[in-house]
Amino acid sequence: MIKRNLWLNIVKGAVATLFGLIVIFPIFYAFSASFFSVSDFSTYPPKIFPPGFSPHNYVRAFKESLLLRFMLNSLIVATVGSFIRMAVAVLAAFAVAQLKFKGQNFLFFLILGTMMLPADALIIENYLTISKLGLIDSYLGIMSIYLLAPTQMFMLRQGFKSIPKTYREVAAIDGCGDFRFLLSVALPMMKSLVLTLWLHSFVTIWNTYLWPLLVTNKPQMRTVQVGITMLGYAESLDYGPIFAAISLLILPSLIIFLLLRKRIVAGIAAGTIVG
Amino acid sequence: MKKSLGNKKNSLVGYLYLLPALVLAYVFSYRPFGRTILNSLSLVSFSGLRVAFVGLENFKNLFSDKNFLNSLANTFKFGALFIPLNIAVCLFFALLVYRKRRLNAFNETLFILPMAVAMSSAALIFKALFNPTIGVVNYLFSLSIKWFDQSWPAMFTLVFLGIWMAMGLDFLLLLGALRSVPPQLIEAAQIEGAGAFETFFRVQLPLISPTLLFIFSIRLRDSMLLSGPVMVLTGGGPHRSTQTLVYQMYLDGFVSGNYSRGSAIGVVVFILTFLLILLAFRSEKRRIFYQ
Repeated sequence: MIKRNLWLNIVKGAVATLFGLIVIFPIFYAFSASFFSVSDFSTYPPKIFPPGFSPHNYVRAFKESLLLRFMLNSLIVATVGSFIRMAVAVLAAFAVAQLKFKGQNFLFFLILGTMMLPADALIIENYLTISKLGLIDSYLGIMSIYLLAPTQMFMLRQGFKSIPKTYREVAAIDGCGDFRFLLSVALPMMKSLVLTLWLHSFVTIWNTYLWPLLVTNKPQMRTVQVGITMLGYAESLDYGPIFAAISLLILPSLIIFLLLRKRIVAGIAAGTIVG
Repeated sequence: MKKSLGNKKNSLVGYLYLLPALVLAYVFSYRPFGRTILNSLSLVSFSGLRVAFVGLENFKNLFSDKNFLNSLANTFKFGALFIPLNIAVCLFFALLVYRKRRLNAFNETLFILPMAVAMSSAALIFKALFNPTIGVVNYLFSLSIKWFDQSWPAMFTLVFLGIWMAMGLDFLLLLGALRSVPPQLIEAAQIEGAGAFETFFRVQLPLISPTLLFIFSIRLRDSMLLSGPVMVLTGGGPHRSTQTLVYQMYLDGFVSGNYSRGSAIGVVVFILTFLLILLAFRSEKRRIFYQ
């Protein structure tokens, strides 16, 4: 019986590894194909392993496109956007959890209610708003619709609620105002949650596609997710530079992902990261 | 006296803290939502001005339009293929590795790695993999399918891409659910003589069903909103066979400048997703309850 179980487990493990390798094959292929020459793409049977490690496609991706600019745009939008998003959420959540004022719960639920209205169905009107504000082709325009994160606000409120109100009263007696209390006492106490949510926001804004496509016209203002789909080689067999660009995008997120795997898995188990 | 003064100051500060969030909620959610509804009931000019109130005329036109009905059908077709396949695949993987072992920790990482890839990169990779002449998929599985020239194969490329992108999260959710099933229950079932299948259907499946329902509802919502992968991978083709609701809304609203029609499609999407989000909230609550 025990022996049979052992064999069953080995078989199960091997089957899982086989499927796992199929699952990561697209990622492997992207890295591999980033080293293909134009002729490597048209051979039959199709190549799977790189013929060598020539940086040719990488050099071309940077030289022949605005890839570096795309990356810079995404970096600015994701960094600044996730920071503002966190600040807006922290302020609102802190106020509702720790301060007392009339209608606070109503106003908070009004904000949470936006969860019911999916951004994808609002793109036409939001585009008109952004264009009226003159924010087409601007970083603020790209990040605008991501600055409000109701789910995160909800989780932050739970976090702030767990801080005893006496802490704030003691701080107030010592002459520490609410804002300073928030920055130097409350936030450090919730470091782990804030970090997880911030990371999630960064990735969300970095990965977004439809909205930045709509609100940018100038090639220099494209984010990298939009930019790589417009590298312009797609119709020919010259995929090399596209795969070089894709690999450059995947590599850092893969490394961060592997480093933070435990935190991400824990975050999902706790319900902090959904969708 | 001093205390009440403090309270009053406090309350004003509270509103100030909420102000940025309230402004954003108004400008980017409630106001556009209201305008979308108004526009869907009006004739709107190319410059975005409401010219006349037309009642439900736009919806009547919409539901008698083949193109729209086609998008609606495609959206549901995608959901009907993607959701069950996705759940089956993720559940199968989770069942393979849920017992904690050294090799399983490695396998687990393989299954969640797609999470590190953004949608547009993933779609571009799949576009190359499914390319009928140079693509690796046809070669490795000895197929000769022209994936993007036929409607069902094109739909399936979207489904495969959808599963690949959803896998990391859904696999982890199911893994967590399977691991939270008390081992004593499984042992008890086995002592009673239940086989692996019986144990799964009688013990594990009922206990992970809240998680399944949760995944079902978030993926149903995602299916209703599908647009990005369509734009990058198939462009809605061939012959509009993969054109979805939000993609058509984009085409009508932006490419043709038909705001009333785009808004009417938007309202249909709202109604569809609203019901589904409610469902998701209910199952989310139950998921936490069970854990």
